[in-house]
Amino acid sequence: MRMIAENVSRTFFRKTGEANYFFAVHPVTLELDEGSVTVLTGRSGSGKTTLLNLLSGLLPPTEGRVLLGDTDLYALPDSALSLLRSEKIGVIPQGRSAVDTRTVRENILLPALLYGKKPPEEEADRWMEELGIASLRDARPKELSGGELRRMAIARALSAGPEVLFADEPTGDLDDVNTARVLEIFRAFAHEKSKAVFIVTHDSEAVKIADRTLRMDAGTVL
Amino acid sequence: MKKQLIPGCVLLALSLVITLGSISFLSPCVHEDGSFGACHWAGRSCMGIGAVLGILAVMALLLRRGRRGVYLSALPACLLGILTPGTLISLCRMSSMRCRAVMQPALIILFAASALAAAAGAVCAKES
Amino acid sequence: MKTFALSVQNLIRKPGRTVALSLLTAFLSLAVFGGTVVVLSLRSGLQSLESRLGADIILVPSEAQSKVSFKDLFLQGTAGAWYMDASVTEKALEVPGVEKAAPQTFLASLKADCCSVKIQVIGIDPQLDFTVQPWISRSLKNGLGDMEIAVGCKVEAGMGEILRIYDRQCKVTACLEPTGTGLDTAVYCNMDTMRKLLEAAEEKGINHKIKSGDEDIISAVYIKVRDGADIGQVNSALTGKLRKVTAVRTRSMITGISDSLAGVSRTVTLLIALVWVLAVVILLLVFLMISRERAGEFAVLRLLGASRQGLGRMVLTESALCGVLGGAAGTALAALCIFPFSALIEQQLSLPYLLPGAGTILALALGTVLLASAVSAAAGFLAARRLSRVDPGSALRGGT
Repeated sequence: MRMIAENVSRTFFRKTGEANYFFAVHPVTLELDEGSVTVLTGRSGSGKTTLLNLLSGLLPPTEGRVLLGDTDLYALPDSALSLLRSEKIGVIPQGRSAVDTRTVRENILLPALLYGKKPPEEEADRWMEELGIASLRDARPKELSGGELRRMAIARALSAGPEVLFADEPTGDLDDVNTARVLEIFRAFAHEKSKAVFIVTHDSEAVKIADRTLRMDAGTVL
Repeated sequence: MKKQLIPGCVLLALSLVITLGSISFLSPCVHEDGSFGACHWAGRSCMGIGAVLGILAVMALLLRRGRRGVYLSALPACLLGILTPGTLISLCRMSSMRCRAVMQPALIILFAASALAAAAGAVCAKES
Repeated sequence: MKTFALSVQNLIRKPGRTVALSLLTAFLSLAVFGGTVVVLSLRSGLQSLESRLGADIILVPSEAQSKVSFKDLFLQGTAGAWYMDASVTEKALEVPGVEKAAPQTFLASLKADCCSVKIQVIGIDPQLDFTVQPWISRSLKNGLGDMEIAVGCKVEAGMGEILRIYDRQCKVTACLEPTGTGLDTAVYCNMDTMRKLLEAAEEKGINHKIKSGDEDIISAVYIKVRDGADIGQVNSALTGKLRKVTAVRTRSMITGISDSLAGVSRTVTLLIALVWVLAVVILLLVFLMISRERAGEFAVLRLLGASRQGLGRMVLTESALCGVLGGAAGTALAALCIFPFSALIEQQLSLPYLLPGAGTILALALGTVLLASAVSAAAGFLAARRLSRVDPGSALRGGT
């Protein structure tokens, strides 16, 4: 499923010079095609994560609209947008994203449990296996290292079978072997399953699997 | 391991309250002429049952094997304790009397709580 | 979003938090249920005393006022023994405005069977009585026969059982309903039986000022004033006509009791209010703290597709469930303290105390649990609002 962002921008209130707001993301139009990996690079604070949040339905834009297929994400009420996000958009956030009271496996199945759906157990087991965290299925997040937590978040996003996958610094905590493994998984996910993958990263390795590379600077996509 | 000791400790504490209580703050009425009524002996009997429960609780805490059996044997003792004041040994005729107003309800509640603690102990006890 | 199962799991996975929240609501419901039952019991005790007395004025010998307070007989069942001439009844009937006059004779028993206290034996005249008879006839159609007694509900004796009073065997033929007053510890018989008991007391050498030969001696006369007559005037007329006799207006006695009852009610209500204010403040603070602690968890859930509304519902469900748990525990604990020890509470309060019926208690218990869960849910609502506003994007940013 194709995602299109039309003139999407985001301002935040902050006293800067004469204005009392600043552009975190200047108006941008871009398309995420199914079957392709888009990699966004840029310096820290350039607005990469804000753009990812805008595209993934987590942060409403100040101007513009985001379409997934024919659906305008931010025209939907919160409950409908939330359901759509849980079904069609996968997000691997930059920070820690585990619910501590649940085991690794339960964390991975959580998106389905939120809506009382049949949890994708086979998918979850398969992705845990592929990402090398199968032995940790019954561990609590507090017992996991940063890299293991990252892989758990990746397994969770993939198990839900999203149409578009957003990953914010997905290889930040990973060693070289795991970085290569994860990037290969992303590539295969986009190409073999015909899904759109959008990666925000500093990692030059990630650029190698990109079908398209974008760079961002001071809120503007170059 | 520590969790397993909780029912034993609770049972021990309750048995101490029963044993000491039935001759102090839960003791039945004293006759004006200094003689003893049946309620006095009911209290003494409960004191004895409380002491037995205390010994069982100590055994349950110290023993490494057969803990479940000790807890189970405390159950009939608790039942005996519940039945003693009023059913097996009669108390004063008037429900406003201390034996009926204080001793009987308090001891029944304490023995019932002990039975619950013993039952919990029997369930939790892992035979090694 | 289907949140119920998740809410239940959240409660189970965080037992410490669940217990702490439940304890607060348990505290609330303990105070509400316990306090309300006590206040209701006092009210129904007073009502019962009013209806059971049934008389407007009670005549007692002047010495009764000083010896043992007449009120104590009704409130604590303290045995009284004072006597006056039986002619008081007829004289009282001659006073204008007096409709009925029923004599009663009091006799304090020796230890009855195993009991270490004296039981108040009250002799009534079935022909004239209007105060006890209606209560006896509810359970006894033919009235009290020879050597037959009716026992108050607090005298533990079954129908047909034999009670020995002064070594005379008395058959229990009626058990009276509870009144919540000292009358519950009394034993009632007719005047013939009373005479035989007096004889027995005499044989035992008990120095009652009354002798079995003195047929005309009574302890009190219960007066019912004719409709429309002024009780005050009748009262003064009686005092004027009868010497060495005090006329006690039951209304003034009951007013005195109801004043002390109002005092107790006020204190209990104040305590309940205090507990409520404290518990609600603590509950709000705890929920605010929890909302801070759980911000991360909720950001993750938002990220995974949970709606604001769904998350709000989840917190509300959790807090309401804590309320139900705590409410039930608190109510059960209060019940465990109040019902088995009601006799003790009655003695300590020294006021008429009659527990409400099972239906009222059940409704009250349910109401308390509902209230506790509503308060808990309301406090949780604030946390739910804060948590559902969590911005997952910024909350999940920064170091792993």
